Amino acid sequence: MSSVTTQIEDERPSSLWRDAWKRLRRNKLALTGLGVIAVLVIFAAFGPWLTPYDFLSQNLDARNLAPSLSHPFGTDDLGRDVASRVIYGARTAFLVAVLVTAIALAIGVLLGAIAGFYGGTFDKVLMWVTDMTMSVPQLLLVVVINASLKQPITLWMEARYLATMNPIWRNGAIIDFALVFGSMAIISWPPYARLVRAQVLSIRNRPYVTAARALGLTNRLILMRYVLPNAMGALIVAVSAGLGTAMVLESAFSFLGVGVNPPTPSWGNMISDGLRVWTNYPHLLVAPAAVLAVVTVAFNFLGDGLNDALNPKGQK
Amino acid sequence: MNAPLITIENLKKRFDIRMGAFGEKAASVHALDDFTADIIEGETFSLVGESGCGKSTTGFCILNLQRPSGGRVIYKGTDLATLDEDGMRPFRRDLQIVFQDPYSTLNPRMTIGEALSEPILFHGLATKAELPARLTRLLADVGLSQRFASRYPHELSGGQRQRVAIARALACEPRFIVCDEAISALDVSVQAQILNLLLDLQEKYKLTYLFIAHDLAVVRHISDRVGVMYLGRLAELAPAQALFATPLHPYTRALLSAVPEANPHAAQTRQRLQGEVPSPLNPPSGCRFHTRCPLARDTCRATVPPLREVAPGHRVACHAVTSATTTNWEPVSA
Repeated sequence: MSSVTTQIEDERPSSLWRDAWKRLRRNKLALTGLGVIAVLVIFAAFGPWLTPYDFLSQNLDARNLAPSLSHPFGTDDLGRDVASRVIYGARTAFLVAVLVTAIALAIGVLLGAIAGFYGGTFDKVLMWVTDMTMSVPQLLLVVVINASLKQPITLWMEARYLATMNPIWRNGAIIDFALVFGSMAIISWPPYARLVRAQVLSIRNRPYVTAARALGLTNRLILMRYVLPNAMGALIVAVSAGLGTAMVLESAFSFLGVGVNPPTPSWGNMISDGLRVWTNYPHLLVAPAAVLAVVTVAFNFLGDGLNDALNPKGQK
Repeated sequence: MNAPLITIENLKKRFDIRMGAFGEKAASVHALDDFTADIIEGETFSLVGESGCGKSTTGFCILNLQRPSGGRVIYKGTDLATLDEDGMRPFRRDLQIVFQDPYSTLNPRMTIGEALSEPILFHGLATKAELPARLTRLLADVGLSQRFASRYPHELSGGQRQRVAIARALACEPRFIVCDEAISALDVSVQAQILNLLLDLQEKYKLTYLFIAHDLAVVRHISDRVGVMYLGRLAELAPAQALFATPLHPYTRALLSAVPEANPHAAQTRQRLQGEVPSPLNPPSGCRFHTRCPLARDTCRATVPPLREVAPGHRVACHAVTSATTTNWEPVSA
């Protein structure tokens, strides 16, 4: 009782987000995860200015060097600095993860919110679609999409180039990225849609939503100001875990050769290259794999921490 | 006596339970059947009954927060029961509601000030410039200082939240408020405060209340008229004094005899009802109370008793009661 009074006596405003941040700050693991991710984001953003070597420049006199002071992660079979490539790989990984998650989130939130709030036929159809998408193995779906669309799109772009003579249509990397983003977004949005739908379904019957209806507010207003803000907690947790998953997925696809193609460095294709020579030059495998593992674990720690911070009632 | 503010005729609510691949109707819950009553301007009309008897459903259906399955709710010459969300909007301002649970009735992501501003700005009841003064007055009306405007609901106690919920209803400048168990979830000491607040506001703003409750002592204290509900039907409807002095329906009598007596030496003639409330999925034929009624006869099993006026303003739905003084039948020994 006294805590309530003191809270009300002092004038410092406290919001749910502030309280969540307070709880997160006490969680060492989550803070570590956040720190690792922050460092990687800085490297991904400013990598080219931070690395002493260009990730593409080859030095055939310095091939397969073991880690040393001048090359902390050594060099690969073309004499490229592995540390620079891992850092540039972070850029690829973050770019793919953020874009894929953004696309998946936009589709998922929009469809999930409409389905959950209005229900009806749209809801049923959406649930069928998500069930179907989620029932197909993710890797298989991406391989199929890539394999079946790559050639038609390449041909189409070739035709566009011949028609417009604009060099943008000759850039093969665009196809790579578009296909990677597109196919990954296609497999990533259904879980977000289901999460948002489930959240909206549970929130829309809460008394404060009924009260908003009793006030005469429009459905749009109720959805935007009463329902979705209360679904944010669960969504943030899912996004934090989803970013990690998207990075692993990107690496997996690049590893299999359906994702980002050389010479653009991706942790996945670096692991793939390193695996072939790991008995002789283990650093080529260990460096990208270790970084990938650390980032994945960091996202999981952060996700767990966010979950505890945003849903304190869930703690036993 | 004033004119009716809201006239309710044969209001019904069924919840269909759908099952199977094509959503066939498997059964329906008869939550509310043939509710007919006027709500008089300026009065406190109370509804009492056990959990699940349909009293809250009545409140929700009147406000069209749950769409009635049948019947009419006439307000200002318009049948609200036929209106959709857009049609209801102009009437929402006049007809407000305060909910039972003060912990879930406020949006946790909005400050108290934001929550109260929403209806004012939406309905254009004040300009942005007038808003701070309006908020201060609104909070003062419910006994809160204006500091609360910047607080979030989780910083408030249950009683304070319920005051905010009342302020939110008042923000619309309503004529009618449904108090849906508005004090049941609060501590007893806080209950009295909130109750007094509601009564003060009623006097100040000439409000009409539909007070849904299960605490008979509270209802007796504040009501002008009381309706007793059983399994979705109105069993008895009477001015509060008459109802508590001369309860006529066997169910009302059982209900009133269950009220604890403060004086331990007072003679307690508690009338115990046998059995459980039947399922509203499959309500008993005829009078819905016949499975537990000490007076039940064949007529009761066959025909639904009409709500008859047996004394001025005192209506009872019982075959056995024909006037305010006579009960025709003797109890059947089991």
